[in-house]
Amino acid sequence: MVAAKKTKKTHESINNRLALVMKSGKYTLGYKTVLKSLRSSKGKLVIIANNCPPLRKSEIEYYAMLAKIGVHHYNGNNVDLGTACGKYFRVCCLSIIDPGDSDIIKNMPDY
Amino acid sequence: MVKFLKPNKVVILLQGRYAGRKAVIVRAFDEGTRDRPYGHCLVAGISKYPSKVIRKDSAKKTAKKSRVKTFVKLVNYQHLMPTRYTLDVDLKDVVSLECLQSRDKKVTAAKDTKKRLEDRFKSGKNRWFFTKLRF
Repeated sequence: MVAAKKTKKTHESINNRLALVMKSGKYTLGYKTVLKSLRSSKGKLVIIANNCPPLRKSEIEYYAMLAKIGVHHYNGNNVDLGTACGKYFRVCCLSIIDPGDSDIIKNMPDY
Repeated sequence: MVKFLKPNKVVILLQGRYAGRKAVIVRAFDEGTRDRPYGHCLVAGISKYPSKVIRKDSAKKTAKKSRVKTFVKLVNYQHLMPTRYTLDVDLKDVVSLECLQSRDKKVTAAKDTKKRLEDRFKSGKNRWFFTKLRF
């Protein structure tokens, strides 16, 4: 139950890192572009919301396994992930192409 | 960070007449071409899988049941599901872009891949590739 043990503190730090990526890095939001970035191996980290449909989640995880790209299961649903990205819409999955100033790639790929 | 849509990768077609069929990538065009400005690849796949052979089949029947019908196609990356399997058959000399220009060239290309894939099937290797995907 790693997700349950994840305290508020680490959750906030993911949000902070995501905010920094939104400000300074390159990313794509949404299932189609995430798959595109995985196919071309441009993505460095993929974040999936927890209410993503299980078939879609497995598909993204399979692509990421083939491309050896880390996947992070965000502790929140797509509404929360959209808010964490600073957007006013729901985001079910996103792919970070260039982290910019953030260290999300180095610190987050647990899980 | 690793490109996986490379030649010899086994993929499953998701759309079109050959949806659900397994195919192997012969040549990949990541950047696309002028006619097809999207990532696509040339695949050679199985359109009719070999059927199950039982012990009491005669030699003539096993030969008939072990036939493989193949196809050659240019497919968008979006309409493929890549798998972790690879199939190393050398199809580069047989299957090329120009063999899709005319119908007879396509037929001869399919016939040559049929020969190579049938040999591979009879050798007993890559068994997963020659089993039908149940869905």
